[in-house]
Amino acid sequence: MSDAENRQMTKGSSPTAASGGRLTAKPVVGVRLMGRRAVAALDPLRLAGIVVFVAIWQACTAALSPIILPPPLNVVRRLFGDFLDAPSLSYYGVANPNLYANLLYTAENVVIAVVSGAIVGVVAGLVSARFGVVRAIINPIMMTAGTVPILVAAPFLLIWFGVGRASAVCLVIFYVTVILYLFAQRAANNVSPIYEEFARTLGATQRQIVFDLLIPATVPEILGGLRIALAGSWGLEAISELLGSQEGVGKVLEVLAGATDTEGIMANLLMLGFVAIVVDAAAGWAVRRLANWNAGLMAERN
Amino acid sequence: MPTSPAPRMIELAHVERRFRRADGTAVNAVNDVSFVIPEGEFVCLVGPSGCGKSTLLQMLAGLLDPSEGDIVVGGKAVTGPGPDRGVVFQKDSVFPWMRVIDNVEYGLKCRGVPAAERREIARTYLKHVGLSHVERAWPRELSGGMLKRVAIATVFANGGRVLMLDEPFGALDYVTRHQLQEVLLNLWNADGVGTRRTVLFVTHDVDEALSLADRIMVFRAGDQVDDIPVSVNRPRTTDSLLLPEMVAIKHKLLHHLGLDHNAAPGEAAA
Repeated sequence: MSDAENRQMTKGSSPTAASGGRLTAKPVVGVRLMGRRAVAALDPLRLAGIVVFVAIWQACTAALSPIILPPPLNVVRRLFGDFLDAPSLSYYGVANPNLYANLLYTAENVVIAVVSGAIVGVVAGLVSARFGVVRAIINPIMMTAGTVPILVAAPFLLIWFGVGRASAVCLVIFYVTVILYLFAQRAANNVSPIYEEFARTLGATQRQIVFDLLIPATVPEILGGLRIALAGSWGLEAISELLGSQEGVGKVLEVLAGATDTEGIMANLLMLGFVAIVVDAAAGWAVRRLANWNAGLMAERN
Repeated sequence: MPTSPAPRMIELAHVERRFRRADGTAVNAVNDVSFVIPEGEFVCLVGPSGCGKSTLLQMLAGLLDPSEGDIVVGGKAVTGPGPDRGVVFQKDSVFPWMRVIDNVEYGLKCRGVPAAERREIARTYLKHVGLSHVERAWPRELSGGMLKRVAIATVFANGGRVLMLDEPFGALDYVTRHQLQEVLLNLWNADGVGTRRTVLFVTHDVDEALSLADRIMVFRAGDQVDDIPVSVNRPRTTDSLLLPEMVAIKHKLLHHLGLDHNAAPGEAAA
């Protein structure tokens, strides 16, 4: 392969690598900002940042051995190669010797955890915002769970559920529940009391106030929280698989780390980052569709 | 002229409302207020801010319980908010997550009015307030004045026989405010003499009260200090405000508001 071709391919592969890293590095910065930026993903400044990042990476590989830092192109090539078939993985006892089946396993766990965590968190958050007694009971638990790093729960979960899907999913459910509890509660508290007063003077019942006011009014903020939770869940699920699992991206990372296969590890991270970006973009699209009344979002008049 | 005795619509008997300050001391926002308003009357409540007029309106709306006394509207004691008493708030209360037409229909929908029927009613009132062209718009696309029109249409569409407006046009510019006063009066008149709704309109704008009201009640520090009938014929124009009767009432109001330094002593005391 010629030098020119090489450089071109490096550039072509760069966006996913760099923004994948960025996404896992700072998932809790600001939902709405991330939402709007995802739309403007082709911002020239961002592209420039990615190009510089890949260039530095490439430059470093000249000085370091490939075991420490493999060149970007090799990582991309490895990702494409291993995606459908990676026989080397079967030597290490991974159930499915390819990347996509493990990715699917991880994705399933993320979906199960996010859906169930979101239901529990949102309901608890909304109820606690409306009833002081419930808030007094749940708040201390959630606040504690929110401040303690969630991974300290991992050993307990391993004792309770053993190594397997349940432990990993539970860990992510905890994480999602806490985030969405806080978001839903804050969203409900942010709804101006004027709307409820107006609805009551119009003759709305308590039930109607919940379904016609509280829920629609809090949807944008809750979806924002869901997006943050989703972004973090990928990383957390992978980490919890590191702690003991027979399948999943985390398991693959663990065995590759055992084999000091840096290239394979980076290929996996690249894939994880890419999936997270796609999921986040989809979530952003859903937010705009479901809350198109919201002034904070793009004006789309019909 | 509607001089025949109309049935009593609103009755207040010795109504009081106390609030507790942070330091534990009690403040009387409304002090032993009693009055009767007959059906179909347009009453303005005037007074400096903090005089208790908004508190009074909130109690009438059922959003706040009186500490003492009884409030009876349409023969029933007020125990909470209800669709028989519509409220237009000072702040924007139009639901941002519903389109304009859905906002106007909302009260009717809550009470199970069939979809086609309530849409018809909502369209009628949107037309009255001049917003037919934006019925599918989101509230965020409307100006402050238009949002007030939506709120007025919503409250009228909901069919309450008593309407309460709490400084509704206070935050609007001069032109918009006058347009909305006209919209309100036209809607009120559209019901026709004898079936008009009873309106309580809180304002601190003396000219607004003079151009709208059949009767002006003045409040100061929680007390009702005056109750002035305004018999000048409708429709009133800016020139109506220059009639001697209007000028006399205006002087009286300014006196109550503590702004009568330039008025002749005789007039102020009249």
